Amino acid sequence: MLDKLKESIKAALPELDFVMGWGMGYDPLHATPLYMYEPEDVDNLVWGPLNVHNLAVHLPSLKGKKVGIVVKGCDSRSVVELLQEGLINREDVVIFGAPCNGIVDMSKIRKAVPDAHFVHSVETDDNGLTITTDKDTHKLSLAEVMADKCTRCRFPNAVVADHFVGEKREPTVENDAYEDLESFESQGFEERRDFWMTEMDRCIRCYACRNACPLCVCRDHCVAQSRNPHWVSQRDGVRDKFMFQIIHAMHMAGRCTECGECERACPMDIPVLLLKRKLGTVIHDLFDYDSGLDAEARPPLLAFKLEEESIKEKDW
Amino acid sequence: MSKVKNPYLPEMATVQEIIQETHNIKTFRVTLNNEERMKAFSFKPGQVGQLSVFGVGESTFVINSSPTRMDYLQFSVMQAGEVTTRLHTLQPGDQIGVRAPLGNWFPYEDMKGKDVVIVGGGIGMAPLRTLLLYMLDNRDDYGKITVIYGARSPQDLTYSYEFEEWRSAPNMNLVLTVDAEAPGWEHKVGLIPNILLEENPSAENTVAITCGPPIMIKFTLQALKKLGFEDENIYTTLEKRMKCGVGLCGRCNIGTSYVCIDGPVYSFAQLRKLPNEL
Amino acid sequence: MAKYLKNDDLGQWLSELGADYKVYAPVQEGDSIAFRPFSKGKALRIDRHATVGPKEILFPACEELLRFSYQKDEENPGRENIQVQVEENATPTLIFGSRPCDARGFDVFDGAFTQCSVKDSYYIARREQAAVVSIACTRTENTCFCNWVGGAPDGTNGSDVLLTPIQEGFVAESITEKGEALLAGSNLLAEATPEQEKEAKALRAAAHESLPEAPDFECMPEQLYGLFDNMDFWEKQSAKCISCGACTYLCPTCHCFNITDERQGNEGERLRTWDNCMSRQFTQEASGHNPRSEKAYRLKNRVGHKFCYFPELHKGHIACVGCGRCIKSCPVSLDIRQVVTSAKECRLPAEDNDNE
Repeated sequence: MLDKLKESIKAALPELDFVMGWGMGYDPLHATPLYMYEPEDVDNLVWGPLNVHNLAVHLPSLKGKKVGIVVKGCDSRSVVELLQEGLINREDVVIFGAPCNGIVDMSKIRKAVPDAHFVHSVETDDNGLTITTDKDTHKLSLAEVMADKCTRCRFPNAVVADHFVGEKREPTVENDAYEDLESFESQGFEERRDFWMTEMDRCIRCYACRNACPLCVCRDHCVAQSRNPHWVSQRDGVRDKFMFQIIHAMHMAGRCTECGECERACPMDIPVLLLKRKLGTVIHDLFDYDSGLDAEARPPLLAFKLEEESIKEKDW
Repeated sequence: MSKVKNPYLPEMATVQEIIQETHNIKTFRVTLNNEERMKAFSFKPGQVGQLSVFGVGESTFVINSSPTRMDYLQFSVMQAGEVTTRLHTLQPGDQIGVRAPLGNWFPYEDMKGKDVVIVGGGIGMAPLRTLLLYMLDNRDDYGKITVIYGARSPQDLTYSYEFEEWRSAPNMNLVLTVDAEAPGWEHKVGLIPNILLEENPSAENTVAITCGPPIMIKFTLQALKKLGFEDENIYTTLEKRMKCGVGLCGRCNIGTSYVCIDGPVYSFAQLRKLPNEL
Repeated sequence: MAKYLKNDDLGQWLSELGADYKVYAPVQEGDSIAFRPFSKGKALRIDRHATVGPKEILFPACEELLRFSYQKDEENPGRENIQVQVEENATPTLIFGSRPCDARGFDVFDGAFTQCSVKDSYYIARREQAAVVSIACTRTENTCFCNWVGGAPDGTNGSDVLLTPIQEGFVAESITEKGEALLAGSNLLAEATPEQEKEAKALRAAAHESLPEAPDFECMPEQLYGLFDNMDFWEKQSAKCISCGACTYLCPTCHCFNITDERQGNEGERLRTWDNCMSRQFTQEASGHNPRSEKAYRLKNRVGHKFCYFPELHKGHIACVGCGRCIKSCPVSLDIRQVVTSAKECRLPAEDNDNE
């Protein structure tokens, strides 16, 4: 499969400025975005559960270039969303897709292998990873350390692709039951509030969550730093930090594909995806809408309908 | 407890007078509230200050009054961002904060005995005014002074109420220019670098100092080179985004040079040695 | 004159130190490790590097530079008077459990904040009252490269006491007079036996051995100046960067800041907050001009500052301590080692651009 993918990229490369994929990073446990400019760069491409990054985040800033991008199913939904909102031009992007088996959650790996920072080698196959550190060897099944989003993945194959290689894979589940959210919301108000106050207190305001988000498009006019309007102060309080997260989540409602990059990017391991999941389920219930599937569709909060089918504002 | 002076603490000052220079430039004359400090205050032509509007922030402006005339400190402010917009709403009597003087200055000592060519564009005249007044007040120390000052239109020229004073100084040539003909305009019409070439000042024993928009500086520099000026004898003062004003916050560096403490005044010979990042 | 402290007595020792100092130590918070005020019974996480180092204890992410208040002038109601106040609130503070790289970060801060033409009174007030008790690394992570930038797993710069973890305890050595006083002040510390000292020494030597060979960075200023206008190089190096602040905020040496006013009603504060040179807004000028408008320029300045400008201004000291946090916490795993070694290995064009 990987060889076919490489061939397909090499064939398209002459027409493109570059193709984005993944290569090996600073240690055997970490992949990193790989920019393939020349055919020999393509030899460094990897495919597997370590390809955690959603490369669609780079597309809007590449205006004027014609580029290729390798996507997982979830990444492809971000591309669709970008197309939908006119943030990229379809003719400027060549999409390479392949079936995804799921990716790892580094936090889970760090819990399963406390010595993950001392890793010497990693072997991956369809069933899992074998991680060898300076002290010992750990065999982990992919299920154990898989990112939560993959356990409820409905789109393991790219939903949009110019070149798809490999056999399409059946989705893990048919519907997202939002079980994580249900269990979180079964707690009382105080518990939930305390949870967020504790978690957000750790925030260092690096805005990796924002910058890793493929759909965060305000870029240099972000409310986090804006003085006019001045909604978020620079004071070091948990309220201001949380305020930003709430605004971010609200802006993403109906657009967010729950790719989880915000949470993955957070250096302080703050579970910020949960907020977007909450809005995701609200949007789903209200508008029966799934983001990032149809480039011709319009996110429900970017449109106005005189009578919304599921909002019975005149029936009460 | 540490006895180091707090470099971020402004002096309280009072706005004494406000002059509407152009549609978007106002000049503020301020005095420090502490009379003794005001009396003891000294600075050199070209140094800058940070003006504070508490609750809004600080911004950097050159002190464009002359050290030889210490009734007040003068700053000219073009409305652009948050702080300058707020400054423009001030009234005489209002309180502001001042952190000054900061940065380096024009080489006014080394310039003694030499001719001087001053080339200013728009708000870029502000730092040049302080030097000009200083030289006029020490007239015997300097040779011939040529001032070429231009703006888009006559209404965009600052300090027009002073032109007569400048012009009437001995051995002084004031050349005013605007980009296009305008009713009642009796001076030159044309871009500053072209007028400079037309005036054709000698480069012999002469220092040139220029300040204005980047594009004007670029072509003025070319014109000065054509006239035979060496990089060592051409100075400019840089506007950079400064925040702390004391070389610590990390914004205004060009390589190893921090504009807020090593500048804002540089010769083109110095700038050539720095990385190309203006 | 090394001392020995039993693992079991560590909590007690920190409690004792708590009488004179506000003690900070690394603890688990969610899935991260951060320095927080120590209280007895709180489990310490000193088995590996903290996610975020102790830098914010001496250089807070947000601090008040001054407070102001507006009052109506009683004699002239159209006028407002402004009161400005500065609160000095530095207290004796002890940082426990920093790593030698973290402590060396304070060395860089000392250079930036106390040795330049203008001194930072806020930092100095905290630094003078701070004591740093570091733990030598006996095991190095994949992202560790302290030896590349002048440090060592048992480096002492910036620390007052260095502890080496051995079986069941620590060998403790004082680095400064302040450190000596810390060790002398407790009965919990005994004289270390020669065996204990030997064990510590062996562990430290092994840690040195475990690090990759250090490249020679002597030529870096020349290389970086030579590459300054090579935008192709910097665009490729920065291509995957998403311009967030994870690297700068977690960096023990990064000390850029912003100053902003916050006002509510008639009162407010002027705040100094961490700022991030990788962000576009950092150098955005009010006129619209931005000297570092692209991430390529910003990465160039970040690497340039650490490996060229700061060393030139501070006796050759590289403003990077090799802790590796910028690598392992980077959302895209951008590796500064790779950027710097690529810059080092880049062949510069022959000098012919002087005559232009």
